[in-house]
Amino acid sequence: MAESLAGLDTFPKLLMHHARVRAERPAIREKDLGIWQTWSWGRFANEVRSLACGLAAQGFKRGDHLAIIGDNRPRVYAAMCAAQCLGGIPVPLYQDAVATEMAFPIQNAAIAYALAEDQEQVDKLFEILPQCPTLAHIYYDEPRGLRHYDQPQLMSCDRLLELGAASQRRDPAFLETEIAKGAGSDTAAMFFTSGTTGAAKGVVLTHHSLIDRALAAAQMEGLTDADVVLAYLPPAWIGQNIFSYAQPFVTGYCICCPESPETVMSDMRDIGPTYYFAPPRVFEALLTQVSIRMEDASALKRSLYRYFMEVARRVGGNLLDGKSVGALDRLMYRLGDALVYGPLRNVLGMSRVRVAYTAGEAIGPDLFRFYRSLGINLKQLYGSTETSVFVCVQPNGQVKADTVGPAVKGVELSFTPERELLIRSPGLFKEYYKNPEATAASKDAQGWFHTGDAGYFDADGHLKIIDRVKDVGKLADGSLFAPKYLENKLKFFPFIKEAVAFGHGRDRVCAFINMDMEAVGNWAEKRGMPYSGYVDLASRDEVYGLVRECIEKVNADLAAEPEVAASQIHRFLILHKQLEADDGELTRTSKVRRLHVGEKYAALVDALYAGKDIVHVEAQVRYEDGRTGSISANLKIRDAKTFPPAAARKAA
Amino acid sequence: MKKNWPVLLLGAVLLIGLVLPLVTGAAPGGFYVEVLLGGLMSGVLYSLVAIGFALIFKASGVFNFAQGSMVLFAALAVARMAEAMPLWLAIVLGTVIMIALAWVIERLVLRPLVNQEGVALLMATLGVTYFLDGFGQTLWGSDIYKIDLGIAKEPVMVLDKVFKGGILVNKEDFVAAFVAALLVAGLVLFFQKTATGRALRAVADDHQAAQSIGIPLNRIWMIVWSVAGFVALVAGVIWGSQLGVQFSLSQVALKALPVVILGGFTSIAGAIFGGLIIGVGEKMAEVFLGPVLVKAFDLAGGGLENWFAYVLALLFLLVRPEGLFGERNIDRV
Amino acid sequence: MAGESNTRAGRIGDVILAVEGVSLAFGGVKALNAISFDVREHEVRAIIGPNGAGKSSMLNVINGVYHPQEGTIRYLGREYHDMDPHQVAVSGIARTFQNLALFKGMSVLDNIMSGRNLKMHSNILLQALRIGPALREEIEHREVVEGIIDFLEIQAYRKSQVGQLPYGLQKRVDLARALAMEPRILLLDEPMAGMNLEEKQDMCRFILDANDHFGTTIVLIEHDMSVVMDISDRVVVLDYGRKIGDGTPDEVRANQAVIDAYLGVTH
Repeated sequence: MAESLAGLDTFPKLLMHHARVRAERPAIREKDLGIWQTWSWGRFANEVRSLACGLAAQGFKRGDHLAIIGDNRPRVYAAMCAAQCLGGIPVPLYQDAVATEMAFPIQNAAIAYALAEDQEQVDKLFEILPQCPTLAHIYYDEPRGLRHYDQPQLMSCDRLLELGAASQRRDPAFLETEIAKGAGSDTAAMFFTSGTTGAAKGVVLTHHSLIDRALAAAQMEGLTDADVVLAYLPPAWIGQNIFSYAQPFVTGYCICCPESPETVMSDMRDIGPTYYFAPPRVFEALLTQVSIRMEDASALKRSLYRYFMEVARRVGGNLLDGKSVGALDRLMYRLGDALVYGPLRNVLGMSRVRVAYTAGEAIGPDLFRFYRSLGINLKQLYGSTETSVFVCVQPNGQVKADTVGPAVKGVELSFTPERELLIRSPGLFKEYYKNPEATAASKDAQGWFHTGDAGYFDADGHLKIIDRVKDVGKLADGSLFAPKYLENKLKFFPFIKEAVAFGHGRDRVCAFINMDMEAVGNWAEKRGMPYSGYVDLASRDEVYGLVRECIEKVNADLAAEPEVAASQIHRFLILHKQLEADDGELTRTSKVRRLHVGEKYAALVDALYAGKDIVHVEAQVRYEDGRTGSISANLKIRDAKTFPPAAARKAA
Repeated sequence: MKKNWPVLLLGAVLLIGLVLPLVTGAAPGGFYVEVLLGGLMSGVLYSLVAIGFALIFKASGVFNFAQGSMVLFAALAVARMAEAMPLWLAIVLGTVIMIALAWVIERLVLRPLVNQEGVALLMATLGVTYFLDGFGQTLWGSDIYKIDLGIAKEPVMVLDKVFKGGILVNKEDFVAAFVAALLVAGLVLFFQKTATGRALRAVADDHQAAQSIGIPLNRIWMIVWSVAGFVALVAGVIWGSQLGVQFSLSQVALKALPVVILGGFTSIAGAIFGGLIIGVGEKMAEVFLGPVLVKAFDLAGGGLENWFAYVLALLFLLVRPEGLFGERNIDRV
Repeated sequence: MAGESNTRAGRIGDVILAVEGVSLAFGGVKALNAISFDVREHEVRAIIGPNGAGKSSMLNVINGVYHPQEGTIRYLGREYHDMDPHQVAVSGIARTFQNLALFKGMSVLDNIMSGRNLKMHSNILLQALRIGPALREEIEHREVVEGIIDFLEIQAYRKSQVGQLPYGLQKRVDLARALAMEPRILLLDEPMAGMNLEEKQDMCRFILDANDHFGTTIVLIEHDMSVVMDISDRVVVLDYGRKIGDGTPDEVRANQAVIDAYLGVTH
């Protein structure tokens, strides 16, 4: 990093620094009405100043919380910084959460000020207003549809900016003084964890911890103000916040906000990000799209694709890691790059990607290698809200599919006897808001954070996470059962959207499968197989056969690994509905809530183990016209072939 | 997807036809390229006339049989007027005449027949054809007239470094083909990139909807026929300068008919490619296939150029009636 | 919510379209029989009725497709006779179609841009050269159209060919093209037909928003009564070409003739 950031210990101070040093460089771009509009650092800082002064004029004080609900928009980020300027604490909330989920954070922090992106979010806030009497000020960015709202709490952002500009004219020095009062040890933001386990908790992070981690990772990857990031995940999620707020504030790079959630792919092609983050799920969805498009392509294209992807699989990763590769392979890869990989990277919008991260969940090894073999420098990292993200990152040249890399500078790692990972880092959170018990339970007296993740170091000192400590179980015979590990393997197949494996305390492993409607539907259409809907398709013998093939491939893989060979899947069924976050089956970050699913569908689990061939299920469905009703369906249960463990085969 | 084989077959046959003379050594390289270029040049002109066809068909659903006669009429007008004034002025005046003609046709023929059966409209354009043929001769005379573009007609030798003996190119042909290609490109851009082009496409896509959003059908038809008239004029002038302005010009121009059958009635791209394919195809057939046939069947010989295009179109009607680029179901004719 | 409807009611202005004693017959069949009703500025006016009630005929009369044998239509205080659809469009009345009359081979953007045709005045030659006023005009219209694309949330489909889009989206493009004409009155022919519930809700929101945001007066005909009742200010009910009810949704719902017609009671 060429410039010194010494003394710039809060985000507002960093912002004012960039507004001085690179006033004309782009800070945020937003595609609006079909055109990319650029906010320079100077303009961004001005917006923040006006917003901050407006908030101050509205009575917002040091230590107050500002709830922020909206998609990635320049003003959403400006509002975060505006609150911080005044020593306040932005509390970004998930914009796709239902109203009731927003009530807890607002009650918890007795929030009085909120910024909502549009009518949809404003409506949600008014819906919970009776439970949240503290909420006295609601500002909205997009006026559409709000013209006839006359609630006294409501004010437009434009009006707030006017108020701010006016008070700035009256007292120009006010804001500088306020910003100067801030210190690194102040709370910078509060993120509510989506709560895989029980109620949501507000994670309190200081300026110091966020800036320290953002900087450490930026230095490690050599990020500069020339980098470009697409901000497309919820700003309430710590990951997006790090990449589209903390890191641009320490490096001065530009973030780009897509036009709408549906246009992310084409917007990404427009801007060509150099630094990219996506959870495994997104990479998976992209690959599914590619696979489907290739199935529809002409025979010539298909065979070209197959041939060169094989070449890439063999040598692409090695080339990226700087390992030596034979001259012929190198030539073929070069040819493949011109014909297949280059165009493919372009379609994915990843032509310019220098560093891509994935995290949040283990990524399927084949999926991971697919992207690396295309020449995309995809790496894994490990971290959570409580650690300001960066705990472990794979350094260039030391990338493995099954680890998350060594600790980033500044981080200490340790394990409990139960193999639970402990972390000590400058990036650790201060506390769970108003929840001393939870804070004490996860942060011990020596300052170690108990992650709840089970793992170990591999031979190279890379951290390997296998599962949550509480989910790692044992089969009846005492062998290791790591359900997530199996599920991830299954989910790599494009036809399988979600899988839930059971086996703890049982004699063998069985699984629920959620088929991928898009991929299986496409597959069925190709075969001219008529079906009337999800339930019907999911119950077809042909689809069962398709899924069984996938499971048997996984079983063959598992058989080759002695530690997990006992976890081969013996029986399975295909669920009659998609697992949904709205039904509590997935978390808001789309992770399977295995325990909950196991309880909700206990009858199905029992049937799997009882050796039945068919099980009856009653299900709530929503018809096309919106009526809800319940249908009953009979789900088939099928066996899958298992294989003798590799060790046993060798012995035999 | 599945019905792609006629296209593949045609591609294969053309490719073989193109390569065979070279491979077998039947033609020296230079001569071969000469034939190819000659084909492309007449092809561009076919494309031009075919675009006129396709335009009118797309926009008004009228199969304009009179397109060939419009070529003749325009050429006659320019040739006779050029005797009394500079050529450029004759061309400008000719354009005005063609636009006026478009206006008259729209007013007197199309508008009264709006929403009539396709057959009625076809008959109407047949009427226009005979009227134009006859009226043109009444007005301008029925001899063979000349149009002199003022460009040297002597063949020029080019590329003599690459091919032994070089290639003989007629400079006028070359300029003419270039002008035609430019016009074709201009038309395509006009259609894709301007508001009027968009309105034309809208009318072509759905009459009623276009009308209900306030696109004036009459004005659009007027524009379409004017453009078709102008295109006919350019083609007429170029052909006229090569072949002389005479009655048979309307027959040559009718070659655009097989072109649109090949390319698809509703497709501008089809008209362009169809024109080039037929232009090159018939030249190649005449020069290389002709002598072979004559020898093999002991025929009197020659004339392949005159019917090749029609046979190709006929074959296409059998296997792929919508043409190379056309839409599947044509129910307007 | 009470506050909302009050302010909306306050916006509704004078009568801008009045249908007076309109009768229409095809051969011997009377499609419309002495129908009279009016439409006020800025209101959402629905025409409902069972199949074959004459709803579409009514819309086609207003739109200038059919010319009634009896009765008059008064628009902005002036009677109009024998206007064709083009003239009606010029006068500021736009419509959408039940069976979608989009330009299927063209992109979404081109479809909506073509809705601006009436507002374009630059010379065809300038357009061809893409210079001066023509280019400026194209850009201005593109801005308006982009606003509508944003409004109807179809940014992701700008360049898609309309014929390739799912039905619900095509309906939205149809609405977008009509809005691009900036009409005073927008006639919607069964805007929710063939949609699932979610698409219907979206469409309702767009219609109300358009009414609110652009002040467009909306006349819609619809088969699905429940949807109409939620978004309309006043409702006309037709049955066998006759008007059997007219009033607010609540009044119409309580009208015995309407209940009978919908339940299929014969008189």
